[in-house]
Amino acid sequence: MLNRYLRITVAGTIVAAACAGAAVSLEAQGVKIADPTSVVMIVNRDSNDIAFMDIKTKKMVGSVFLGNNVNPHMVMMSPDGRYVVTGGTRANKAYIIDTKTLQLVKVIPTDIAPEHLAFSPDSRWYYQGNPDGDSISVIDMQSLSKIKTIPGFAEPLNVTFLPDGSKAYIGNYGAHWVGVVDVRRHELIKKIQIADVPGVAKLDPDKYLGEIHGINIAMPSPDGKYLYAADGTLGIVGVIDPREDKVIKHIRVGKDPWRIYMGHDGKYAITPNNGDETISIIDLKSNSVAATLEAGPNMTGVNFAAGKAFVISSTSGFVYVYDMNSLKPAGRIKMGTNIQLETATTDTKDEKLYLAESTNHEVIIIDAKTNGIERVRNVGLFPWGTHIMDSKDNYCH
Amino acid sequence: MTCWSARICTRWRRLAIALVIVAPSAIASAQQTQAPAPMNMADHRGALLGRVRNAQGAPVADTPVTAVNEENGAQFVSTTDAQGAYEFGALPMGKYTVSTASAGLVTFRRRGVDIAMDGKATLDIALDAKSAAEAAEGERQELLQKIASLEQRITDLETTAVLSEPETRVRRVEVYVDPTGQQHDEPVPGAKKEVTYLRERTYRRQTISEKIDAALEDAAKHQVTVGVDAAMATQFAARTRGETDPNNGAYALASADLFFTAGIAQNTLFFADIVGLSGAPPDSEIGTLTLINGYTARLVEQNSLNLREAWLRTEVFKNRLAITAGRLDLTNYFDANAFANDESTQFISDALVNNQMLGLAVNGVGAATEFDAKHGFRLKFGFQQSSPEPTSLGDSLFTLSEVGYTFTPFALPEGTYRVWFRTDNSEPDVIRKGVGLSFDQKLSPAVGLFARYGQQETDLGHDRFYSAGVSFQHGFILNPEDTWGVGYANMNLKTGEKENLIEGYYNLLLTEKLRLSFHLTGVIDTPEGGDKFGYIFPGIRFQAAF
Repeated sequence: MLNRYLRITVAGTIVAAACAGAAVSLEAQGVKIADPTSVVMIVNRDSNDIAFMDIKTKKMVGSVFLGNNVNPHMVMMSPDGRYVVTGGTRANKAYIIDTKTLQLVKVIPTDIAPEHLAFSPDSRWYYQGNPDGDSISVIDMQSLSKIKTIPGFAEPLNVTFLPDGSKAYIGNYGAHWVGVVDVRRHELIKKIQIADVPGVAKLDPDKYLGEIHGINIAMPSPDGKYLYAADGTLGIVGVIDPREDKVIKHIRVGKDPWRIYMGHDGKYAITPNNGDETISIIDLKSNSVAATLEAGPNMTGVNFAAGKAFVISSTSGFVYVYDMNSLKPAGRIKMGTNIQLETATTDTKDEKLYLAESTNHEVIIIDAKTNGIERVRNVGLFPWGTHIMDSKDNYCH
Repeated sequence: MTCWSARICTRWRRLAIALVIVAPSAIASAQQTQAPAPMNMADHRGALLGRVRNAQGAPVADTPVTAVNEENGAQFVSTTDAQGAYEFGALPMGKYTVSTASAGLVTFRRRGVDIAMDGKATLDIALDAKSAAEAAEGERQELLQKIASLEQRITDLETTAVLSEPETRVRRVEVYVDPTGQQHDEPVPGAKKEVTYLRERTYRRQTISEKIDAALEDAAKHQVTVGVDAAMATQFAARTRGETDPNNGAYALASADLFFTAGIAQNTLFFADIVGLSGAPPDSEIGTLTLINGYTARLVEQNSLNLREAWLRTEVFKNRLAITAGRLDLTNYFDANAFANDESTQFISDALVNNQMLGLAVNGVGAATEFDAKHGFRLKFGFQQSSPEPTSLGDSLFTLSEVGYTFTPFALPEGTYRVWFRTDNSEPDVIRKGVGLSFDQKLSPAVGLFARYGQQETDLGHDRFYSAGVSFQHGFILNPEDTWGVGYANMNLKTGEKENLIEGYYNLLLTEKLRLSFHLTGVIDTPEGGDKFGYIFPGIRFQAAF
């Protein structure tokens, strides 16, 4: 018996020493993040940095300052976890950070006002949308260099890749079409018109000529078979079959849908309709609206967790909650008064939401089961968005 | 010269003396202005000459040699002759960069060639590999210098331009103040939590349009917002049954609603609605039991401005409880059926806008509270002056309570179901009661059903009313935002008066602010102790709302 205890003690000591040694070794190599899935990335618009918060301890691991007046917009980790990238909207540059060491390894000039971005599934290509430049900057993540600028878009907001990485779909907020890019050639090959502008448009120049609220994103369904693109001005969602790149169905939703968000179970999707302060819940099987429910003003995002949908109403200080089984409202969570909520990400277990709140420079953690909240303050100035590797709700404004 | 008088002579004498004194300085001055100005440096010239030879030492003919003044960038070109000689006969004095180029590539470059006044400088040029390398290096250095200079200028621009200045804003923060008055960011023993305001500075570059938008948005928050809802409803009346007059008639009613809204405190709003009606609806001549034109409901006067509503609304308990108080139309807050509740965009007949058993004839002072848990349940209670005559609210008190629930039953889209109860003590020594049900249920995104039922107490028993119909949107329509519907209403009063009404409408959205709708209403009424009569009312409503 004594022998056994001795063996266990010795083995334990060796393991502990090995772990401590490994930790010391990593630290010596300047490793700050050993596991890229262990952190929440926070993009701080006004302190011009990307901050990293440990998910378990809720402590800040570090931050990477990008430069004054860079004003980063969206942050994303490459699917292989090697790099973290962001577009500096007011610097017209893309910033590439090494995830392990949190070193800024490359700054690459893009086109005007880079905002939203996406990686190809194999982590090779980083497509950076430049809404004011009407272009996409293609960055090769092997050479860490810009290899091409794809022109011809109209305020490209979001990029989505097909699961096989063959094509990328670009939502044009300044038009009513989705751009299809051949990823092998990095060329815009098709423009898919989401819907006709109604005939009465000519009587309403204020609405149709004044400003376009076009397509924010072409969002793939969880099974990857279809893409869904909401058009704000037209108030419809177009269902795209990517095999033929054709719209196969139109779904009329509420007024001025901001974009579409996919539920994680593949049953429903939601459009927050800022024009009439409602949400439309779309049944993805029948491609029809299953319910239109009251929501709040200035909605900036929808997250799914614990069988619920959490809809962020930016200026009201509330997150609206909906039961996705009964499709009924399930109350609201008050985040504060006179505050501005930004966007949120959901952890990979679908248990917690990490919501950026810019007025008080904090991230609010929402427990999806209990609707309880916890605040992590002073994460940086004007936290604008959050991101977790492999989260199903990684999005931006 | 003869002096005209001593006085004049004296004057001439003084003038002559003055001239003598002033003249030398004037001449000196004139000499100064006439003296040639110091010569411009460009007027001091010197010559530069030399020969251009290739690597083998042979002369290079017909090659341009360029001399660029390093101070002002002035450029001079001379071409070599057959012997490779070149000459700049009169270059303004200064330092020059002398270069030659071939096929766009600089083959020789020498900086700092000094041209002295009236001097003759010599520069022989050898076009060999060494000179080409020196030239390339010189070009590179110059380019790097230019880039550095441009970067510096951009940095200067970024740091000094208005839109790149650090932005300052004031933030509300919670701090902890200990008994000694020291302020802490985190709680410390004995410290009290206090709220204070803090100015913070951030580096956010904004575009001009962002700045303007932010300023406009900020200004709009402090303004009173005015809304207008103007409509012209033209209806024709054709008798279909009975002998009542008129037989045929045309009626037009113009309505202008002005809404004023202002945010006056946190979650608190002021609202006023002033309405002006002009013209006459069919109801002015045809005595149907319910109003054929719902625009005139609960309005006492026409052809004058009426204050329909003026109230304050505040939201408390995390915005779940809304309290509205002032002059109200209480029926606006109750039985708000989604498909049959608005005479300006849906049915025009009052029987398909309001539950006739709500029994409120006029607007008045009152309050409405609404508790919305945001789970689908809503509880409402309100009271209002039901008659303008009594001075005491206790003599004319109308109360209304409602419970509503929104959900998605039987895999259908959402529907709202509600039940209400009301009391009214405006008649002496009696409290009249009424009760009603109402629902609106979407069958699909395009089709919705609605129905209402209500009854009220009278001396003779219970009056009853019901209505039902179907409404279409997003389907079976001409334009995406059009709506249409068909509804039926039945009223049965204990006095023997009865009414059956049917209406269909199509509402065409011309623009966001302009709508045109077509209505066809049919009604058969049985008046108390009289003969049945029937009418049809085709009509057009033109509405602008902005």
